[in-house]
Amino acid sequence: MAKLVLAPTVLVMLVCFYGSAMWTVYISMTRSFLLPTYAFAGGAQYARLFHTARWQVAYGNMFLFGVLDIVGTLLLGTLLAVLLDRQVRFEGVFRTIMLYPLSISFIVTGLTWQWVLSPTIGVQHFVNGLGWTDFVFDWITRPDRAIYTLVFAGIWHQSGLIMAIMLAGLRGVDREIWRAIRVDGIPAWRAYLHIILPMLRPLIVTCIVLIAIAVVKSYDLVVAMTNGGPGFSSDLPGKFVVDFEFERANIGQASAGATVMLGSVLAIVAPYLYFELSRKNR
Amino acid sequence: MSAASAQARIGRIGLYTLLVWTCLFFSIPLLVVIATSLKTSDEVRAFSIFSLPASPSFSAWVKAWFAACTGLNCGGVHVGFLNSVRILIPSVIMSVFAGSVTGYALSHWRVRGANVVMLFLLLGAFIPYQVILYPLVKMFSTIGIYSSLPCIIAVHVLFGLPVMSLLFRNFYAGLPEELVKAARIDGAGFWRIFIWVMLPMSVNILIVATILQTTGIWNDYLLGLIFAGRDNMPMTVQLNAISTTSTGVIEYNVNTAAALLTALPPLLIYFASGRYFVRGITAGAVKG
Amino acid sequence: MSAVSVCGLSKSFGLLRVLRDIDLPVEAGEFTVLLGPSGCGKSTLLNAIAGLEDIDGGTIEIGGIDVTQHEPSKRGIAMVFQSYALYPTMSVRGNLSFGLRVKSTPKREVARRIEWASRLLQIDELLDRKPSQLSGGQRQRVAIGRALVQQAKVFLFDEPLSNLDAKLRTEMRVELKRLHKELGATIIYVTHDQIEAMTLATRIAVMRGGRIEQYAAPDTLYEQPETLFVAGFVGSPSMNFLPGELVGGAMRTVRFGAAMLPLNGYAFRDALSARDVVIGIRPEHISLAQDAAAEAAIDAETLFMEPMGADTLGWFQCGEHRLAARLSPQVARGIGGRVRLSFAMDQISLFDPESEARL
Repeated sequence: MAKLVLAPTVLVMLVCFYGSAMWTVYISMTRSFLLPTYAFAGGAQYARLFHTARWQVAYGNMFLFGVLDIVGTLLLGTLLAVLLDRQVRFEGVFRTIMLYPLSISFIVTGLTWQWVLSPTIGVQHFVNGLGWTDFVFDWITRPDRAIYTLVFAGIWHQSGLIMAIMLAGLRGVDREIWRAIRVDGIPAWRAYLHIILPMLRPLIVTCIVLIAIAVVKSYDLVVAMTNGGPGFSSDLPGKFVVDFEFERANIGQASAGATVMLGSVLAIVAPYLYFELSRKNR
Repeated sequence: MSAASAQARIGRIGLYTLLVWTCLFFSIPLLVVIATSLKTSDEVRAFSIFSLPASPSFSAWVKAWFAACTGLNCGGVHVGFLNSVRILIPSVIMSVFAGSVTGYALSHWRVRGANVVMLFLLLGAFIPYQVILYPLVKMFSTIGIYSSLPCIIAVHVLFGLPVMSLLFRNFYAGLPEELVKAARIDGAGFWRIFIWVMLPMSVNILIVATILQTTGIWNDYLLGLIFAGRDNMPMTVQLNAISTTSTGVIEYNVNTAAALLTALPPLLIYFASGRYFVRGITAGAVKG
Repeated sequence: MSAVSVCGLSKSFGLLRVLRDIDLPVEAGEFTVLLGPSGCGKSTLLNAIAGLEDIDGGTIEIGGIDVTQHEPSKRGIAMVFQSYALYPTMSVRGNLSFGLRVKSTPKREVARRIEWASRLLQIDELLDRKPSQLSGGQRQRVAIGRALVQQAKVFLFDEPLSNLDAKLRTEMRVELKRLHKELGATIIYVTHDQIEAMTLATRIAVMRGGRIEQYAAPDTLYEQPETLFVAGFVGSPSMNFLPGELVGGAMRTVRFGAAMLPLNGYAFRDALSARDVVIGIRPEHISLAQDAAAEAAIDAETLFMEPMGADTLGWFQCGEHRLAARLSPQVARGIGGRVRLSFAMDQISLFDPESEARL
């Protein structure tokens, strides 16, 4: 009976997920344009893809945004977790405030930050109004800076998740280790840096993987915040693929982009799973 | 001695200061949006998002709900709200059910290759939507239900399957084996054990799963955009359309009100459920 | 090495009084064991001495200095924990040196101390390994090593052997005794295992319900227990307790059931009149009566024998009461049914049934 129940799940997974993925990968190696054809074309789509200016920007942005987002959320989230680990009063209140961004859509986050960072109504306008008329903060409208605004919004949205995960990890540390630290006379900050956080290395790796995958998949945030603009300076592969698939109707290019995305995810996940499994077996 | 305790006091003050600053960082964007939504239409011309409303009113909220415009259509976000609800309820029920049954089957019944299935599910959870969107569109077109309510519900159930199955599987694996064994000796079969033994013990995880799915499905944009069909666009899609319509004066008060209305359901669930919400997001993270 | 002096220490967790007015004077170089069942407060007392717990009343002096308000690292103590609490991501060398490096101890001194401690504990081969690569016994040694390199005045041990298997525990007991002899260290040691306590301690503080019932050398505890609890807790198999009656007048006889047992020079604390008492007698002080006319003897019914290897523990029923007696295996094999047991009356203890104190 159990097998019967599992069968549809397995079937659906195989067909819809893996079958689709393989189809996409295959199409990326054909000469498809508006409609899929099966005429093999080798790496031609990829060659075109990587010569497309928009893709180059998007792909580069993925790494830039990714690294900054990961480092930012990790640092802020870990710092907050460490602070809350110090037995503060009103911990519940602090946690509630730090986690609520996770409950709202990336669309709302994107729009909110678009409004806050807008030079015409947001921060710049406000500071100008206070008297500092020379103050400029128009990153969201500058092609060379727009991508960084996405980092702000990303960190704002996701630090809470890292905080929750790391706090759970910190709470799981054996209390006797803390007693030994006190008897040894080690100050708290050094204890966290040299003893406690290194103990949580596997958890940190998990956090990095989670954020990294979210970065690769990013779509909603880009659409709401900058819509890839100005121009396509803040584009990301996730948006590029969807645009090319449905608006510009270039299936071949879209599939190539999607396959690159898939490859990126695999490049992150495969070593992670290997790392996790070998850790379990040791 | 007092030097040490004075140092400790300064340390604590510094700690609380940092925490308060961080809370400001997290809350100011929301507060600003709320403040803007309470402004009247005149205040919205050439204004600063950081200023407080002169005479707070809910007129923008009313307008957003009933009369906000996406392009030429001015029906208000209540249309999107109803659509989101119609998408949400069946999707959540079905994906939670599917996940729990799958998780149950994988945990307590010695199925050959269960580990392989779990690995498949785990990897499946990582695959970006964009990789399989187009083939899915083609599949649904072939069946004939593309761009409709059943389509989007099926898509949500599909994408929820990996995470839900793994969530339930990990939970059920933590329950004692003896329960199922005793029930089987008593003669109960797969479904009976599920309904009478497993489900009663699953209240906590069901709440967690429901919250996780509700938040995820309500906040979804991309899948709704592609699969729901023109008449079923969820609230998030409508919200983005409203906010990017740039004809004439941008009515920020209406846009912010619409954003808040869209964010309100999952936000309320969040405030009400606290612990369960945290369990949901961390369980989704700490897999395997 | 320093003396530790605890005076009038009290601690409560909310409404629960965990430690009541504890006085514990520990001499320099002593090996004091805090012994008692779970919940008696021994670990709390140790943590209070260490400074890991705040106290509600009383003072703690280490080496003549009042350390009651001091942080643990400022009390001149070192501690070894039940689960070793080694820093998992550091090597053994790292674990041993981290506390010293934090205090800016010169590198040469650090190296010297590590070499000395690792040689003493025979862990010098393991210095570059991580804790996860060590066995339980090795980890325990490293934990002790971490305490040694601090060159503290007092060493505190919190049930350090509970996580080891029986064989390792016996080995480590020998190690600890050897260390104590070589270093002449002042040690305060918590355990619930009375064999550990008896073999290691110079003095044992038996604790119950937040109070110290008796603080004395192992022999004294065994032969002259102050309370019923101490008498029953120390010694395995435990002491037999029988209800009796002190026959009035010259305090020369105590009656148990139908038997009148003569007291040969029992050292009474006070003069007493006829009263109820509890007679305590250890299994090794009960034997098979050699002749029918033996003085201090009772009649009993044989229940069963428990062979323990070198001895056999024989269980007997006398009226409503059960007794255990240590017998040689040969003797035990030959008996059954009604027997006559004789008591070594110069080895008994008498207790007040209500106050449970020694009479």
